[in-house]
Amino acid sequence: MSDRQDGSPAVRIVQFYPVELGVTGDRGNVRALQTRLERAGIPVEVLRVGRGDPTPADIDVILFGNGPLSAMRVVMDDLQGRRAELATAVEDGAAVLAVGAGAELLSESITLLDGEVLDGLGILPLRVTRTRERRVGYIIAETEHGRLIGFEDHASMWTLDAGAQAYGRVVAGRGSVRDGDGAGESVRVGHLFATNVQGPVLPLNPQLSDELLRIAASRRGYSYQPGTAHSCLDVLATGARQAIEDRVGDEVFTFMKV
Amino acid sequence: MSDARPPRARRPGIRYVFPVAMGKLARIATRLRGGGSAFPGYLTNKLAPTLLPTLAGQFEHGVVFVLGSNGKTTTTHMVSEVLRAHGLTVFTNPTGANLPQGVTSALLADATLTGRVRADVAVLEVDEGYAAELADLLAPSVILSLNVQVDQLYRFYETERVADMMLEASTRARAHVVINRDDPYLSKADPAAMTAPVSYFGVAAEIIAGSAHGLANAADTRSGDAGAVAHPAFAEVIVVEGRDITVQVDTAAVAVTLPAKGLHYATDAAAALTVAARVLGDGFDAERAARGFAQMAPAYGRGEVIPLRGDRHGEQVEFVMFKNAPSMQMNLDALDRAPERLLLAIDEGTPDVSWLYDVDLDAIDHVDVVTGEKAHQLALRLAYAGIEMGLVEPDMDKAVAYMRSLPDTAAGRQTWFVNYELMMAGRRILGHGDQEVARR
Repeated sequence: MSDRQDGSPAVRIVQFYPVELGVTGDRGNVRALQTRLERAGIPVEVLRVGRGDPTPADIDVILFGNGPLSAMRVVMDDLQGRRAELATAVEDGAAVLAVGAGAELLSESITLLDGEVLDGLGILPLRVTRTRERRVGYIIAETEHGRLIGFEDHASMWTLDAGAQAYGRVVAGRGSVRDGDGAGESVRVGHLFATNVQGPVLPLNPQLSDELLRIAASRRGYSYQPGTAHSCLDVLATGARQAIEDRVGDEVFTFMKV
Repeated sequence: MSDARPPRARRPGIRYVFPVAMGKLARIATRLRGGGSAFPGYLTNKLAPTLLPTLAGQFEHGVVFVLGSNGKTTTTHMVSEVLRAHGLTVFTNPTGANLPQGVTSALLADATLTGRVRADVAVLEVDEGYAAELADLLAPSVILSLNVQVDQLYRFYETERVADMMLEASTRARAHVVINRDDPYLSKADPAAMTAPVSYFGVAAEIIAGSAHGLANAADTRSGDAGAVAHPAFAEVIVVEGRDITVQVDTAAVAVTLPAKGLHYATDAAAALTVAARVLGDGFDAERAARGFAQMAPAYGRGEVIPLRGDRHGEQVEFVMFKNAPSMQMNLDALDRAPERLLLAIDEGTPDVSWLYDVDLDAIDHVDVVTGEKAHQLALRLAYAGIEMGLVEPDMDKAVAYMRSLPDTAAGRQTWFVNYELMMAGRRILGHGDQEVARR
């Protein structure tokens, strides 16, 4: 958008299937990246791609949101048709954030409760198994970028391929990644991030937003740094994170057992 | 309860005196302790499993179930008032007591010791998750499905499951199935799967098109056809002018005044009129129906107006309750202008608030105080929307004190957008008790 006026290139963010995969505030992840780039003075362009739309070229950030199993089935064929273009974008170094069902679509396979196995795109080195037990509540995981904090609400376990590691080690909540003896949450492979953390995850986790933005901005020749224009957002994020940290351990979701 | 054959209705009589008396005593005891409880219903169901079907079988005009993601309480209220305006004695469950034990507890209060009911008709709001199970016990004549909206994903997992639960329950209706023809999932119900004929209600297409976010029903992500399929409506909202609307009910145009403004309330009214017309048959009368609406006070916390400082002639507070993204959106869309003074409140009664980012907040230009245990999560969302905030104060008491310290508004009214728990807390702080309130 803004690159047309002064010739400076815009960072291109693409959200895939916002209608089908957008039921858990996934717009908030897009909004967080867009606002933080704008406040850093970096031009940004947001594109939304639905079924049947062409895949844009030169993507800097790829976002996939969360949705029900039916939505995964509905977008599956369309997504398979984009396999080569997405693989190219990832090889070119685009940053990826995939949440919940969006992450599962990018995995190798999804095994459902009745034994049916769905093929994923195979971009993420993990296999998904849907579970009877649902894990719901606040979650906190220690990562290389600080504490990942949010809300989990899923019935999936992710099994990683050899060599892949969980991004976070769960310190409160349940998590969705088998990680040795402990529980893990989310997966990072280079500039690809996949998670079951909602909230949505990026507004609540400025440290993760900024990691994605450093990757994306550098592709366009910018050095992204959050500054004073970000501090009023981050003060509120800190307050929200602190309230969650104070809250975990309380048994809040008792009616799940009804 | 669900695997065994449901208990059958029997005749009222002496066999019920002990279980009913025990239940009533338990009710008194739990009320003395403060608040309502599911225990009396549980106890009575254990002592006399046939009591519930026996009570339900006695309503001359049958039992009506009201199901839906949003609007159950309001619509139950509307149906009840319209039927009362036609001279019927109506039994209904208190606000929010929509789980099986709550329904039993409420019926207990109304029953005689020998297990007789006094009302002509029962109008019950029922939780979607228990609708089929309760239908097996209460044999409803009419089942109304209001809408399927994205709600409580942490509980229902997937929105289409909610649609399936409502439609599965609807197959059990004896006389009429009532369905929102503008709802993508519900409009695709198979009439052949129902025992009873289907009546549709809806809103005129041009009115929906003029609404910023339509009716906020969930898109159908299952069938590949995201929208609703067309049906002729038995009752259709054809005019909306603020709180005054006209609903074409079969051949009669019914003009009614809504208890609060909003297209969601207009839709609820069309649903309620459809149900009333089906229950009453030839006895349905447009003027009596309108009188029913006129008598209606706003349901607890839905457009309810309460004095800010206890002075009936001073500054007022209008409560607007939301449960989820669709109800917040429809209430925002119903605002005439950005509120002069606005309090926004969410606590842990709403476990996952990710959906706040799915709500379009263009209808407000500032918030005076953001409060509740999730105040900072809410404030973060507002900050990303570029909305100015006066104060972020998780403590509701302090937030109310702050709102009381502000000068009076030109309109004489503040607006408080609150989730259910903080609606109750806010009413209490303003001096209105939070006892379980029966609708007469």
